[in-house]
Amino acid sequence: MNAVALVARREIGVRGRTKGYRYGLLVTAVLVAVLAALPRLLGGGSDHTVGLVGTQADRLQAALTAQAPPGGDLTVKVTRYADETAARAAVAAGDVEAAVVGNETVISKTVVGQDLSVILDTAHRMVATEENLTAAGLDPAKVGQAQQVRPMKEVTLNGSGEDATVRLVIAMVIVVILFMLLIQICTWVAMGVVEEKGSRIVEILLTSVRPWQLLAGKVIGLGVLGLSQIVVIAVVGLAAAQISGAVPDLPDGTYGVVASTIVWFLLGYAFYAAMFAAIASLVSRQEELSGVLTPATMLLMASYLIGFIGARSPDGTLTHVLSIVPPFSSMVMPVRSAVVDVPLWETGLAMGLMVLAAAATLYAGGLIYQRAVLRTGARVRWREALRSAS
Amino acid sequence: MLEVDGLKKRYGDTVALDGVSLTVGPGEMFGFVGANGAGKTTTMRIVMGVLGADGGEVRWKGRRAGFETRRRFGYMPEERGLYAKMRVAEQIEYFGRLGGMDAGASKRSSDALIERLGLTERRGDDVDSLSLGNQQRVQLAVALIHEPEVLVLDEPFSGLDPIAVDALAGVLAERTAAGVPVVFSSHQLDLVERLCDSVGIIKGGRMVAGGTVAELRARESRKRLRIVVTGAESGWADRLPGEIITKIVRPPHGDPAQSGATERYDEVILTPADDQEALRVATSAGRVQHFGWLEPSLAEIFREVVA
Repeated sequence: MNAVALVARREIGVRGRTKGYRYGLLVTAVLVAVLAALPRLLGGGSDHTVGLVGTQADRLQAALTAQAPPGGDLTVKVTRYADETAARAAVAAGDVEAAVVGNETVISKTVVGQDLSVILDTAHRMVATEENLTAAGLDPAKVGQAQQVRPMKEVTLNGSGEDATVRLVIAMVIVVILFMLLIQICTWVAMGVVEEKGSRIVEILLTSVRPWQLLAGKVIGLGVLGLSQIVVIAVVGLAAAQISGAVPDLPDGTYGVVASTIVWFLLGYAFYAAMFAAIASLVSRQEELSGVLTPATMLLMASYLIGFIGARSPDGTLTHVLSIVPPFSSMVMPVRSAVVDVPLWETGLAMGLMVLAAAATLYAGGLIYQRAVLRTGARVRWREALRSAS
Repeated sequence: MLEVDGLKKRYGDTVALDGVSLTVGPGEMFGFVGANGAGKTTTMRIVMGVLGADGGEVRWKGRRAGFETRRRFGYMPEERGLYAKMRVAEQIEYFGRLGGMDAGASKRSSDALIERLGLTERRGDDVDSLSLGNQQRVQLAVALIHEPEVLVLDEPFSGLDPIAVDALAGVLAERTAAGVPVVFSSHQLDLVERLCDSVGIIKGGRMVAGGTVAELRARESRKRLRIVVTGAESGWADRLPGEIITKIVRPPHGDPAQSGATERYDEVILTPADDQEALRVATSAGRVQHFGWLEPSLAEIFREVVA
């Protein structure tokens, strides 16, 4: 096994074994699952009980069942009663929520709940209309056919109408997850670099592996942990949506958005990890770390905030430009893609630029790391690190 | 043979190394001594390639040592470094793998070292839960795991108790017996004297003395004679040529009929102007019990050389 793989494996083994990582992953998975299933858990899945009395009970029952097919989120259980007195008693006893007497009166303890009320009202109209049509000598079936018209095609100028809210939520979730993961994993990279430099273990390591191998192994190993987190989040989120039946509510192209978010995570990670590692190699103590990392953290924060703005105004100039300019694009573009349809060439351009930026940062970061990592003691200055030939 | 040839290193205006050279043959244990800041650590770091030299080179088996050569060296740096949150056995094996061993070989070598260094009961513990002495053993195991061809150890004995010192000395002796050159630095000169085949003394970035301990003594010890004479008359020592450094006199006492120190006893330490004349003076003064060059300890040689 080569040195890079060995280093990466150690990072995964040691970091992945910590309780922090395992519980973090578990908690995230649960949170995402709940979040994805929440709309359905709150909105749907109600069961109703209705009592029916009178000659039109058959037809009413048919109308009710038509609206609430068995196995759906909404069920209506029908009970027949011989007369109004029996129905009243049943409502009073709480056996049924409401009783319809002769398609004329609805009896309930208090006001009927909104969704049940709509169902009952619709059933009432259906049955009554049929009756009236028949009385007027018309065939209800033919009238029904005549009433079936194709819905108008919807063209929305701004976004996708009804999906807008869902898309916005998805975009917000993406930007939060990207930010949290990037800052977490990149901080691990930085801490790992300082751990090795501060403890001087790097002196032993560098007699066996080259600096770039050590850095690459660390970045790849921790990147695998980050990637596994984002994949778990994506899979759990989509699975929870599937199971809870929220999938039909997801806008078209959600899967594509999720997939491209993962790609953007990797690009952003390559960029920021190299930057964090290079900066971390300048200091020898963990206490100095947050200080020197501030500019890089600010950059990440700025991307995060612009990503948030971008979710709300996906067509704004700021969003538009920064969704292409690296490193902001790594957070702004996936957000923008989640909200509106982005032309393919723009996505391609943004990714291409980000790949270049990440490659340049990896190269420069590697050089700085190599030159600074053995220089323990006082903080190494940027200029020294860039100038000195190890 | 490990050859260090004319190493030079500057830090800004400070000259850290000014042409340091030393040679360590196969199976030789080389003690590297010098005051703090004399250049021991800098030399060892350059030998290991973790620091670049401004001049000179390091050769192993006659060839300039590059990265691949140094991978086969074992190193224990001055400031100890281990992963605090990594288990003992796992950590040692990891360095074996980095040193180029496959998983099986690394495991076997690690198990043997853990056993040899008395770490068996701690093998599954995180390193930071170990005592400093045990951490040092792990550090040594990390240096030895990949069966290095050369060992470079910076202060390996510092902070160890006498039993751990013996264990470490035993392990090093095994390696030299297998033909591995060992370089170690230490301030414990009695230990260096006891263990090392040869010694190099560095001062201000230059080697000021080197050779076997016997050679160093031979070079430095001609100056002092220890003479013990019994039954001499008082004032005999005044006739000795040279400068008397110390003189101990015990006058005669007790009953001459009984055994014991009844005669006058003279012990003189002298820097002789003429050793043969000093011998004649001593034999004519009384019975010579001891006449010989005083063998200085390495510590004394060191003080003299470095002063």
